[in-house]
Amino acid sequence: MTHLAPSAARRGVASAVLAAARSTPVGMALIVLALIVLFGILSPDRAFFRISNLSTITLNVAVTMLLAAGITFVLASGEIDLSIGSNVVLSTVVTAQVLVALSGTPDQVRAGEYPTLPLGIAAGTVAGILTGATYGAVNGLLVTRLRINSFIVTLGTLGIGTGLAYVASNGVNVPNVPRVIQTGFGVQRLWGVIPYPVIVVLTLCAGLWFLLRATRFGLRTLAIGSSRDAAERAGIRTARHVMWLFVLMGALAGVAAVLDLTRFGTTNIGGHQTTALAAIAAVVIGGTSLFGGRATIAGSMVASLIPVILATGLVILGVPSFYQLIFVGLILIAAVYVDQRRRERMSA
Amino acid sequence: MVGSEGTPADARAEAGFVIEAIDITRRYGQVQALSGATLRVRRGEVLALVGDNGAGKSTLTKVICGAVRADSGTLIVAGETIADASVRTLQQRGVETVYQDLALAPDLSVAENLFLGREPLRTGLIGGLIEVLDRRRMREAAEAAMAAAGITTIASVDRPVRELSGGQRQAIAVARAVMWAGTAILMDEPTAALGTRQTDIVYDSIHNAAARGLAVVVVSHDIPRMLSLADRLAVMRHGRTVAVTPASELGLTDVVTQMLGGTVQGAAA
Repeated sequence: MTHLAPSAARRGVASAVLAAARSTPVGMALIVLALIVLFGILSPDRAFFRISNLSTITLNVAVTMLLAAGITFVLASGEIDLSIGSNVVLSTVVTAQVLVALSGTPDQVRAGEYPTLPLGIAAGTVAGILTGATYGAVNGLLVTRLRINSFIVTLGTLGIGTGLAYVASNGVNVPNVPRVIQTGFGVQRLWGVIPYPVIVVLTLCAGLWFLLRATRFGLRTLAIGSSRDAAERAGIRTARHVMWLFVLMGALAGVAAVLDLTRFGTTNIGGHQTTALAAIAAVVIGGTSLFGGRATIAGSMVASLIPVILATGLVILGVPSFYQLIFVGLILIAAVYVDQRRRERMSA
Repeated sequence: MVGSEGTPADARAEAGFVIEAIDITRRYGQVQALSGATLRVRRGEVLALVGDNGAGKSTLTKVICGAVRADSGTLIVAGETIADASVRTLQQRGVETVYQDLALAPDLSVAENLFLGREPLRTGLIGGLIEVLDRRRMREAAEAAMAAAGITTIASVDRPVRELSGGQRQAIAVARAVMWAGTAILMDEPTAALGTRQTDIVYDSIHNAAARGLAVVVVSHDIPRMLSLADRLAVMRHGRTVAVTPASELGLTDVVTQMLGGTVQGAAA
């Protein structure tokens, strides 16, 4: 056993702490913590520190966090998906329509009665996730079979998905969605603190973290993003792999759609127009490279908190929340600049 | 891949050929990169593939390793005609390649690169239902491969390849090929970016691989070095193999003559 002198041990601990702080997820967590403390101290009556406020922040960030964790995989492979917002909208419409259709007869649901609600909820959930996965599969097929750049493909399907959502709903929110999915789940909290949707999101994010860190699928995703040629020459079927990444992203958008519906109790046809960009911004700020090959689910999760904390904190302080957009934009540019410099330094 | 079987099986076994690429053609758009190239390599021999730029050396090695599909011709590995050549099928038959661009993933660690596409798994979660990467095994095997290849300048196999020098990357690519090859190693300009000492290490690896019974094909412009390293030299010109000669029977002038289209007494395709 080796015994270190106290000063040497202190130096070891200090360097370990410094090294941890330099890792992006830990650095982001420190920034988030600093923001919470700052807003907590500055807010009247320490209102920001209240459990109810912090709990609401986690609920507000849940869907973006899930989508950010999902798109981390897509960016890690060197691809991009701009269509996740419209995927969420379309999947929400399908979820709501199936839910309403299978929860009772048209007359019953108009009267607010849902005799077969469990069936409606189960079928609606499955339909929403399948819709999202199919949307992702279409993106994946276009990217891998037609070999069109994923930026262009998903820019195109963004419009197509939104259009389909309008066609499917006639441009109005799906009526007669049972309120109980909101009151019984979407705004419910475990022990009065942790919102149910947040538990679902954290569980899925843990699974995604495991998938990226510990499995062959995760390693190959990073390899494809780092060098597609190298991955192909190592015998990896890169096209098929990328296809699965888009399906995974789509399925997660489907889950996000179901959570969204339970939270608001209604579809939001005109919503999620900036969701994809918010998720991508969080992922890049969190330390995932926009150029592929390097990714961190933890960083994406923590960084997705920053815009919501800024918005909430600024509102509590009475500052117009528009400043949040400016701050997040500046942080995004800084994060990409740091990533570029790091790559240049390593390659030098 | 289509075409005749070429050498009868008995004669092939007698000659000891483990790689036979026969009458290979390949066109890229308007460019006919290969027009009936033939190459046969024996187990345990080093064959140098030389020729001017554009002669078809790299394309022929890419066809043999499955990275490029031939338009026509026959590929036989260890006596088996390969009907659907791909990197994966050739790797499964023990054919490994060191590409000119090394084909390493720069963001992955040395160990991850060595095992990419063949990652070892261990049963991990939920009663063995979910398999996870066996990182410890990857690390230990990578360290052993580094030691066997004489690579002592890389502090840790956990370092991303991006942080390594050009020579170190080249050494990793060679070590990966040596680690997995069971039949043959193809090397496309394996020492182009290396200094003298690192070049010597690579040539030692080539000798060791051949001594292990592997067939080694080296594409190189360094003809003097190839004359001392290889057992035979194959010269390519205009997409064809124009001469295959024991290296001991050739001098530098002979090889240059063959490359330029002249005839050297005793040389045969």
